[in-house]
Amino acid sequence: MEAPPVTMMPVTGGTINMMEYLLQGSVLDHSLESLIHRLRGLCDNMEPETFVDHEMVFLLKGQQASPFVLRARRSLDRTGAPWHLRYLGQPEMGDKNRHALVRNCVDIATSENLTDFLMEMGFRMDHEFVARGHLFRKGIMKIVVYKVFRILVPGNTENTEALSLSYLVELSVVAPAGQDVVSDDMRNFAEQLKPLVHLEKIDPKRLM
Amino acid sequence: MQREEKQLEASLDALLSQVADLKNSLGSFIYKLENEYDRLTWPSVLDSFALLSGQLNTLNKVLKHEKTPLFRNQVIIPLVLSPDRDEDLMRQTEGRVPVFSHEVVPDHLRTKPDPEVEEQEKQLTTDAARIGADAAQKQIQSLNKMCSNLLEKINKEERESESGGLRPNKQTFNPADTNALVAAVAFGKGLSNWRPSGSSGPSQPGQPGAGTVLAGASGLQQVQMAGAPSQQQPMLSGVQMAQAGQPGKMPSGIKTNIKSASMHPYQRHASIRLKMFPCLL
Repeated sequence: MEAPPVTMMPVTGGTINMMEYLLQGSVLDHSLESLIHRLRGLCDNMEPETFVDHEMVFLLKGQQASPFVLRARRSLDRTGAPWHLRYLGQPEMGDKNRHALVRNCVDIATSENLTDFLMEMGFRMDHEFVARGHLFRKGIMKIVVYKVFRILVPGNTENTEALSLSYLVELSVVAPAGQDVVSDDMRNFAEQLKPLVHLEKIDPKRLM
Repeated sequence: MQREEKQLEASLDALLSQVADLKNSLGSFIYKLENEYDRLTWPSVLDSFALLSGQLNTLNKVLKHEKTPLFRNQVIIPLVLSPDRDEDLMRQTEGRVPVFSHEVVPDHLRTKPDPEVEEQEKQLTTDAARIGADAAQKQIQSLNKMCSNLLEKINKEERESESGGLRPNKQTFNPADTNALVAAVAFGKGLSNWRPSGSSGPSQPGQPGAGTVLAGASGLQQVQMAGAPSQQQPMLSGVQMAQAGQPGKMPSGIKTNIKSASMHPYQRHASIRLKMFPCLL
């Protein structure tokens, strides 16, 4: 289900195509505190937000070779928060000057019967994990520092084990298509986090 | 003669404009140093120096330009020296030279350096000539060697102090971890214990009742036998052939499909053979 590069398509009506600009890096557990302190200084002044999320990735296998992927996320520590459904397209390649990974992004909040609905539609859960960490914001930029936990028994979010000794750091912006100046701002912010964390554009296809 | 005069005029004009630029940048630099010295940063000073150096360079280029006649061949002779104020001169020099008199002329029309400076320079040249070519070469080489040694020492010191200071907390991130985490979040690498990532769909090879059929063709069997469209759309048979052997997720669904098919086994085989060809092509 590959769409043509969204940034080249004209906006003909309906919803605006939102793109997610993404930079990723990681930080070892023992350096987490210094990173949090630095982020508290650099980012918008707000109470430090922690979160525990359970994310499930659903696949719909069609006649095409590549399955359709949807990500369902729910909060484990905030009762009453809606479920979150997200579609992420393929990263747009091409512009080497663009400093961040750009991909089409559609987000929506849903009610709690999301998994049942997706199963009825024909999706099957591919994998799931628990993310536990901190959330920071600077303007439109969102910085998330979280640890990925593997779920040992499917469906049981209590029984988890950490995937690695590092925290994943993601700097992301969701903006309308075509605003590449956003990636320059992201790169400038990423410079300020060096040498603690190296935020860079990581192509997931390279790691398959 | 006419051409040379014109060239002289033109080159003089160019020189004049270059010198005026240089004067302006020098003036602004001096102003900056005098008035903004408490706010001045080293990069700003460097910028001014760079500007001056650039302008001197262009001045040099103008002088070396092929269309510029040799100024060396021209001689400037003062024709009239008077101790009176000269308004014209004042205007032209922007008030710096009010009088064209005996004190002003030696400084402004100077072509050689000061007598004392000239003496010193002559002394130095005679000293240099006295040493001799070989000794001079040796001295040059030793100077170069000492300079490079010093540079090496400085660089090593800098590197060592940097790494020594940072080594305890240098490893704040692990690139391998980064890749592992990104892969996990992007497509679930390492997250699903009970199923390898990127596995195939619901096909299960070696279905009962199709003993002679190849493992790859078993997928085709399902394609053929699923009369009603099932929930799990079978994937491309090419993909299934490559991934035969993966345990399926919903085997029960497949069995019901097979049971519902009411075709004669021989007919099934024949139709499978027909179906295989387009895929193999």
